[in-house]
Amino acid sequence: MSDQPDTPPEPETDSIAEYAAAITERLGAEGYTVEFDTARVFVAKDKWVATINEARKELPLFSWLSAIDWSRETEVGEGVAEPDELEERFEVMCRLSSVTDARAINFFATLSKDDPTIGSLTATIGGAEWHEREAHEMFGIMFEGNENLIPLYLPDDFIGNPLLKSFPLIAREVKPWPGDVDVEGLPSSDDDDGGDV
Amino acid sequence: MTSRQLMHRSEAAVSIELETPGMTLNIGPQHPSTHGVLRLVAKISGERIDEIEPVIGYMHRGYEKLSEVRTYAQITALVNRIDWVSGFANEVPFILGVEKLMGVEVPERAQWIRLILTELARISSHLVFMSSFPLELGASTPLMHMLRDREHILELIEDVTGGRFHPNFNRVGGVKPVYGGGSKTKKQSMDLPAGFFKRTLKAMDLMEQSCRDIDTLVTGNEVVRARTIGIGVIPSDKALEYGLTGPNLRASGVAYDLRKVENYLPYDQIDFDVVSRTGGDSFDRYLVRVGEVRESIKIIRQAVDLIPAGPLQTKVPRVLKVPAGQVYSRAENPKGEFGYYIVSEGGKMPYRLKIRSTSFSNLSILPWILKGQLIPDLVAIMGSFDFVLGDVDR
Repeated sequence: MSDQPDTPPEPETDSIAEYAAAITERLGAEGYTVEFDTARVFVAKDKWVATINEARKELPLFSWLSAIDWSRETEVGEGVAEPDELEERFEVMCRLSSVTDARAINFFATLSKDDPTIGSLTATIGGAEWHEREAHEMFGIMFEGNENLIPLYLPDDFIGNPLLKSFPLIAREVKPWPGDVDVEGLPSSDDDDGGDV
Repeated sequence: MTSRQLMHRSEAAVSIELETPGMTLNIGPQHPSTHGVLRLVAKISGERIDEIEPVIGYMHRGYEKLSEVRTYAQITALVNRIDWVSGFANEVPFILGVEKLMGVEVPERAQWIRLILTELARISSHLVFMSSFPLELGASTPLMHMLRDREHILELIEDVTGGRFHPNFNRVGGVKPVYGGGSKTKKQSMDLPAGFFKRTLKAMDLMEQSCRDIDTLVTGNEVVRARTIGIGVIPSDKALEYGLTGPNLRASGVAYDLRKVENYLPYDQIDFDVVSRTGGDSFDRYLVRVGEVRESIKIIRQAVDLIPAGPLQTKVPRVLKVPAGQVYSRAENPKGEFGYYIVSEGGKMPYRLKIRSTSFSNLSILPWILKGQLIPDLVAIMGSFDFVLGDVDR
C-alpha cells in the first residue's frame, strides 16, 4: 500500500482529455467531450467509416458498436430531462480501445430519424457484423454495405424494433411491475436527496 | 490403411461414387458442446466445414430494454444473471459506473472485498472451463475433480453473499451488510463472516492442488495436446478485429489486461503477472486460463494481507437519483472485458444501458475461425473459447 503514490487519478483523467483532443484534431472530427473518464468523439455521418478505419491504426481493439434512440415520446422508462429541447435522432456509437494502455474513444455519429442510414464497418472490421445486425434489428438503423443484416436475436418474423423508446414493453403493459410500487412508495426520498451525495 | 492403388477396381468405383457433395449440418441448439442454446448451421463437404453460421438469440432476455424500466439498484440483480458462472464479476463494472456518475466515494474495505470476490469468481469460472473443456475432448475425469474443487469457492462466495451463483452483493456505495443486517443486529453484522479469511487461504491451498491436478490430468495428456495444439489459431490482428478480450486475446500474444491498465479496484497495489501466450491456438487458450487461476490465487493471498479495516458502505440516499451524464465502465471479467455504457438523464432509471458482454464479441469470430476446420475440431475450438450463452444473448 505504501509504494505507489506515483500515479494519482488526476493526471490519468487529463491524459484521456488530452488524447481525445489530439485524436479529434488528427481525424478531423467535429468535436469531443470527456466526462467520467469516458471520451466521446463526434464524427460526421459520411466520414464514419473512414474515421473509424483511420482511428483503428492507433486504437486497434474494436470493442463494440451500438446506438441510442433520443426520443421525446417514450413508452417505456424515463424520458429525457428537457424534452422540448431535444432533437429527435439516433446516435450510433462505436468504441475502439488501445491494448497497451487505458486509452479508448467512443465515436459517435448522429443520424436523423427520417434517414437512419450509415456506412457499414464490416469491410475492414469483421467483428462489426454482429454488432450492426443487432443495432439494425433493435433500432432499425441501416448499415450500407453490410450484406447480412438478418435478425440476430429476434425471430425472423418479428415486427418492430424493440429498443426504440416508442416500442412498448409488452410485459409491462400486461402487468405493471410490482417493484414500481416499492420505488414510488419510499417515504424518505425527499429528505435523502440532500444527503452525502 | 489400403491405398487406392491396392483397392479392387469395383471397390474403388464405389468409394468415388460415395464422395459426398456439400451438405448442410445443423448442430444444436441442444448439442452438449454448445454450452446451452447455440445453434450452428454448417455447410460441409465431408468432414470439412466450408461455411458456418451461428444462430443465437434463443436466450435473449432483453436486458437492455428491461434496464430502462428498472432502478439502478434493481439492475444489479439483473446483470449478475448475464454470465452466471461469474455472477459477482458482472455486477462490479455496473456499480462502479453508477458510483462514478453519482460521485460516490466507496470505503476502501468494500473495494477490497469486491476485488477478492471478483477473483474468487474468476477462479470459479476458470474451473468450470477446466472441467468442460476436457469433457468436450472426451475426458470426463477432470470434470469431477474441478467441479468438486469449485464447491470450495462457491461456499466462500455463499458465505459472504448468501448466493452461490447470483450474489447480488454490490450496492452503490459499497457492499451489502452480511446476513441481512436488520436495525438491531446491524453493528455486529456489518462485516465479513467470522473466519472468512482463514477459510479463503485454506481454499487457495486447495486451488493450488487443483492446478497441479489439472496439469497432471490434462496439460500433459497426449490426446489433449494432439487435439488442441495448432488447432484454431487466431492471429492477434484478427483477435483485435473481432473484439476478442480476456484469455482468448491473451493467448494470441496480446498481453492486454484491464486489471493493469484501467484504474479500478485496488489492483495497482497488488503484484501479479498478466498471463499471455503467443500461439493463439486452443491449447494456449487453455494454458492461459490455468495460469490465471494461479495468478488469482496470488492476488487473493495478497489481498487478504492488505485489506484494511473499516466500514463496508458509505451513506447514500435510499432512492438513488443519478445525475445526467454518460459513462462507460469496464472491468476485466473471467472471460474478458465486460462493460456498461450508462446513459443517464437524471432519474431513477437509466435512459439507455448498453451491455458490452464478453462472450458476444468472443463468439463473433466463429464464422471466421471455423471456416475450413474439421468437424471434430469444431468442438475443441468452441470449447477453448469458454463462452456462456447467457453472456452472448443477454
